[in-house]
Amino acid sequence: MQEVVKVPQSVDERWDLIDKISRQTVEFGAYKHTLKDAIAELTVKPLTGIPVAIAVIYGFWSFFCDFAGTLFTDGFMVRLFDEHWLPWLQSVFPGGLGNPLYALMIDAGHMEDGVLVASDNCFEAFGVLTSGLFVPFGVVLWAVLAFYLIFAILEDIGYLPRLAVLVDTVLHKIGLHGYAIVPTFISLGCNVPGVTAVRPLETRKQRFMMITLLSVFVPCGAQIGIMQDLIPELMGWIFLTLVIGYLGFGFILNKIVPGKSPEIIMDVPPYQMPTFKNVMSKLWIRTSKFLLVAVPFVLLGCLIVGLMYLTGAMDWLVAVFGPLLMGWFGVPSETVAPLIAGFLRKDLAVGMIGGLMEQGIMTTFQVFTSVVLLCIYFPCLATFALMIKEENWKELLGSLASLVAMVFIYGGLIHLVGIMLGVA
Amino acid sequence: MKILLMGHPNVGKSVFFNRLTGAKVFESNYPGTTVDFMKGWMCIEGEDVELIDVPGTFSLEPKDKAEEVSVEMLEENRDCVVVCVLDASKIERGLYLALEIIERGYPVVVALNMWDVAEDKNIRIDVAKLERILGVPVVPTTAVSGEGFKELVSKLKASAPVKIEEVIKNAGGGESAAVSG
Repeated sequence: MQEVVKVPQSVDERWDLIDKISRQTVEFGAYKHTLKDAIAELTVKPLTGIPVAIAVIYGFWSFFCDFAGTLFTDGFMVRLFDEHWLPWLQSVFPGGLGNPLYALMIDAGHMEDGVLVASDNCFEAFGVLTSGLFVPFGVVLWAVLAFYLIFAILEDIGYLPRLAVLVDTVLHKIGLHGYAIVPTFISLGCNVPGVTAVRPLETRKQRFMMITLLSVFVPCGAQIGIMQDLIPELMGWIFLTLVIGYLGFGFILNKIVPGKSPEIIMDVPPYQMPTFKNVMSKLWIRTSKFLLVAVPFVLLGCLIVGLMYLTGAMDWLVAVFGPLLMGWFGVPSETVAPLIAGFLRKDLAVGMIGGLMEQGIMTTFQVFTSVVLLCIYFPCLATFALMIKEENWKELLGSLASLVAMVFIYGGLIHLVGIMLGVA
Repeated sequence: MKILLMGHPNVGKSVFFNRLTGAKVFESNYPGTTVDFMKGWMCIEGEDVELIDVPGTFSLEPKDKAEEVSVEMLEENRDCVVVCVLDASKIERGLYLALEIIERGYPVVVALNMWDVAEDKNIRIDVAKLERILGVPVVPTTAVSGEGFKELVSKLKASAPVKIEEVIKNAGGGESAAVSG
């Protein structure tokens, strides 16, 4: 390789040269306004764009619920697991109720009027082979598939940059650019690629804010899938609470984090017809990644929590942290267990809350509070590992400090609102 | 031989990469899909060639973390051929990056991608003339359908570094008959 030429041109000289070149080689013919342009305009102008955006998101959500929730999970998987898999394992697995290995693998059972009774569904059973398989394969897989199918289509059409333009004004109020909607949407599938997707943001401040907000306030697809199955009636409130938190704490972070949030100029690409091949290829990569990462963690989570119950470690933690949870957040001390599982997998943890709910330990408001807490108290392990990679130690400490502050302030606020409304 | 795919965000570099290597890098229709580099292999005339896909960048003065990756990759691979992927419908913008890379002494092949979009917009480009002025191979491509790829691959070995003074000389004063209302 020959010696590298020192850049001989200034920016102006370079543009001047480009001008000369293009004048000789490019010819712009008369431009016809096409149907594509008309659609493109309709989706970015606020008057028509906002209704379109609402329709798109509503459609997305309906498909998610109908395909994943109603069709696969409720229609098929719940029956398969609760009516066949669980009873079959309960009848053939050696040991039986009260046996430690049986408790770990199949069903720990629960106390009812002082008597240990067997579980009748895979949310309560909490064995490695029951809940451990039901959560990823019975519920979450279908949610993830449904989410990524629609998401890939939206990505390939080129709708996301339009959504970014629409929400730009709102996000600017909290020091973020409309582009932030892209990592946010990606995070709704999984926070891990979401955190990576903040790299195109220009300043450290924006990246820091975005990573912190994502990891705290954006639930992942797995978590949403389980929530939708367990507590569909609370979903609206949960999302509303998270959106308020995202915007509110974004506003505060923007005020206190030093640095600038400059305008980013983003290209809005032309709409394109998605190709079947590319959509399927992305669906396959993302789903297989989910299975590879999630399943071992869910099984491990079941095992760890099961062992903690068996060894009495959980009782100890419940005794230590219970008063704090009860006093500050207003959730029962048993919530310690899902919070522990949540370090590994949020979907598993929400499943455990479902189990507690079915045992009648929690009121509806407590279910709501604990699910919100579970979203915000800590990113899952995989996301946290990535944060260590993406942020320097100062930013990481900052993220953790903001996280603790947000959890206590917001969690306490929710409790307070509950008390004032008389539901807590 | 090593090939580096460079260009603005969302011009189709990842589509190039997937088509040429048979790999499965994410392709999406928004800027910023690729945030890290990706390596893959292809075979040209029996020779194994390494292909590197990098995040989109507007210039060689990086503005964000993803662009930093691209500039680093360019600097780390002094011996590579750069396939500079341009959006044919916004050719001036893309040429800026292409010229910067040419100035640094890399052999370049220019791919005028999204040729179909440019045609839709009624933009006509005199490819032969552009090739004469730049002194590097210029190939119209439509990556999503694979048009122009054979030609592109066949020209990879023909590319050689060009002195920017030559380009300036070839461009002349910029007077042209091709200008039309």
